[in-house]
Amino acid sequence: MAELRNVIVFTIGATRYAVELRWVREVVSLGFVTGVPTAPVALGGVCNLHGQILPVLDVSAVLGHPPGPPARQGDGALVLETEGVVCALRVDQVDHVASLHESGGEIIDAGGRTLTLLDPAMIVRIALEMITAVGAGEPAA
Amino acid sequence: MSDLDLDFDADELAMLRQLFRTEAQEALESVTTRVLAGGTAKPSSEALTEMMRVTHTLKGAAGTVGLHTMVDLSHRLESALASFGREPSPWTPATADLLVEVTDALRGYLDQAGEPASEAVADKIRDQIDQIARPDRRPESLPPRFVEPPPETVLEPIADGAPVPETKSYLRVEPERIDELMSSAGELLFDRTRIERRVQLLRTLARDLARTRQNLHDALDTEGTPSRAALGEAESELAGQAALLSQTTAALLDEIEALRRTIGDLQKGLTRMRMDSARNLFLHAARTLRALRRATGVHVELKTIGEDTEFDKAVAEQLVDPITQLLRNAVAHGVEPPEERAAKGKPASATVTIRARQDGNLLVLEVSDDGRGIDTAALRERLVSAGHWSATRAQLADDGEILDALLGTGVSVRGDADELAGRGIGIGLVRQTVAKLGGEVKVSSNPGRGTTFSLRLPLSTALAQAMLFKVGGQVYAIPNVHVIDTTLVDASATTATVRHEQLPVVRLEALLGHGTAAERRPGVVVSFAGKNLVCTVDKIVGPREIIIKPLGPLLAPLTLYAGATISGSGKVQLILDPAHLVRSAYPDAPDAAITDAVSAPMVLAGRALVIDDSRAIREAMTSMLGREGWIVDVAEDGARALQMTRQLRYDLIVTDLEMPELGGFDLIVHLRKDERFKTTPIVIITSRANPEHRRRARDLGVRALVAKPITRRKLLEALATR
Repeated sequence: MAELRNVIVFTIGATRYAVELRWVREVVSLGFVTGVPTAPVALGGVCNLHGQILPVLDVSAVLGHPPGPPARQGDGALVLETEGVVCALRVDQVDHVASLHESGGEIIDAGGRTLTLLDPAMIVRIALEMITAVGAGEPAA
Repeated sequence: MSDLDLDFDADELAMLRQLFRTEAQEALESVTTRVLAGGTAKPSSEALTEMMRVTHTLKGAAGTVGLHTMVDLSHRLESALASFGREPSPWTPATADLLVEVTDALRGYLDQAGEPASEAVADKIRDQIDQIARPDRRPESLPPRFVEPPPETVLEPIADGAPVPETKSYLRVEPERIDELMSSAGELLFDRTRIERRVQLLRTLARDLARTRQNLHDALDTEGTPSRAALGEAESELAGQAALLSQTTAALLDEIEALRRTIGDLQKGLTRMRMDSARNLFLHAARTLRALRRATGVHVELKTIGEDTEFDKAVAEQLVDPITQLLRNAVAHGVEPPEERAAKGKPASATVTIRARQDGNLLVLEVSDDGRGIDTAALRERLVSAGHWSATRAQLADDGEILDALLGTGVSVRGDADELAGRGIGIGLVRQTVAKLGGEVKVSSNPGRGTTFSLRLPLSTALAQAMLFKVGGQVYAIPNVHVIDTTLVDASATTATVRHEQLPVVRLEALLGHGTAAERRPGVVVSFAGKNLVCTVDKIVGPREIIIKPLGPLLAPLTLYAGATISGSGKVQLILDPAHLVRSAYPDAPDAAITDAVSAPMVLAGRALVIDDSRAIREAMTSMLGREGWIVDVAEDGARALQMTRQLRYDLIVTDLEMPELGGFDLIVHLRKDERFKTTPIVIITSRANPEHRRRARDLGVRALVAKPITRRKLLEALATR
């Protein structure tokens, strides 16, 4: 059953994704990205967003795909807020905001192409698991 | 006195005395209230008894915390109260007032009790009490109507030529706020003790469970069917242990909840202590503007709104410079010359408005002038001609972006007398300062009507001193409280000698994933939980004041980091957690030794129940018994104790005699009727050790009767009695 969703459509690498607007707090251009040694590659670093520490995630790595390029100052990012966590997804391009039909976790865009609908809560959970897995231990030497 | 040194360490004694003071204040207050309730009439015998009980408790508690003069004074007061109940009663209509004076004097004395200088005050109070008890002996000519306050200490004026102390910044804090914190901090210690006690209990329980399991295992291991008796015994043991476990867990949860509340109070208290209202900042702004007016001759008035807005004193201090800069800007660049203002129909005198308000967790400060505003077209040209922006970019940018560019330090050119440059430099500093505080600056302009700079920043900040250093091109920090020195470490050395001590070396470049360096490098000497180590770094940046930011839930599992801070240029810098570094340097040390280096292993003696209506005594006993390996529960009266004994078995009961609700002897009578407590050792602690009491105690099978004040030696002797 197709349902209308208010989404923001964006591109990371060659893949197009959508995420529901209600989770998106803002679209920003990243400030200086500080690397976090010992963290998994899915955590691209941390940024200063309005004086708070903003973790920047690499969606490809979170989803188990090869990681994208490291996040850098000036990169575009979506700031998401879900389950009490505020984090940013590095994106290559923000395409547009639209009301699109969802069916079984996929979004059909105006051109009839399908794109993946990301669930921010799931992204945060997976990232948290990845970070927890390395958290207490020493880094791989 | 010397016994006390053995019984408590200095901190503990100070804490117990503080507790005693609070308790005594309340006790004396209750006496005052009762006396006042009766006017000048003699209090009823019930009221007298109650007052005597309260005074008596006071005496016992004072002895236990080593305030011997206070013991004497409360003893005298108790005797005086007792004498009123006898016939002929020395009570006269004037006694009520005198009694109130005595309790007031005692309350004043409490604060200095224990100090040698207080003895003179105590002597006066002693005379006063004696005269109340024997009014016939009061010298008519010199009624001791009040106790003279102790002479005020006169500060020696600093002699001319004496070195002037270095100016430091101080927080001015109302004493009550400190008192609140002190009491929360004391509470924290109690909370910790209580939780530690429960944990000990859980340890015993784990051992008991292992034993039961072994019994069960043995029973099942024997040939044939295990005996019903053996299984039944194991079952009943298990039932008891399960009950104890669920009770302990529940108690532990309560205690953790109490701890959470105490920490909350402490945090709130600390935050409040650091709060300042915008009023001081506004006063400063008014002074600055007055000076500017005199210096430039520009007619400008200050209007302030929201002076009751509260925010961190540290934030307020840091805001002084930015506000000064913004005012200077408004006067120098914002406000038009009088003829221009007149032509525009504006009042001759310009107005600068500072508005402070709270928006959620943020402080919003707006500085606006009613001047000419910022000419964005000119700014656009300026950006292009100075080579900062391309013509296309300047064309595409909206006014907001153009104004934002003004805040960037890059816009201005040093030495350029141009208006824009002048603004740029100063405003760049404003932005840097605000960014350091974790905030941001926005500028908006209404051409011809004025300019508004709005500063949004956190209401409070956690400022800390930290040592900053570089590793692998990034700057990291370690809180200065954990940094004791810096040194040099030889290439590939695994230990370094610092102050004649061999310390392990943690190679931060390796820990932070930048490979190993082959040369001699700087090291930061870190100390945490009694363990020291040296961290090698690329370069030491030096000590800085930083604002600690939490990493948030997503990064919390990374135990290497304790938080982050934001540099003046807005970059995030990670703060390393010394606890993690110590674990890296001492991999074999158990975690417990790191988190709590002071807790020593204990031999468990059993579970004890302490019943006394003075909290100071309960805590003192808990501490003494705890040191002997007892797990201690406490009750404030016999009724509560009886309730507790119904649920749990105790291996030792220590009780006071006189308590509200159910007294000590009644409690013991009840306990001895209970099969489980028929032979349990009972120790009575009392300050009424008369022969009648001793006989009753002996009849009830009480092991020992200890006279207050309790010392550890007396207690140990009592416990050793058979």
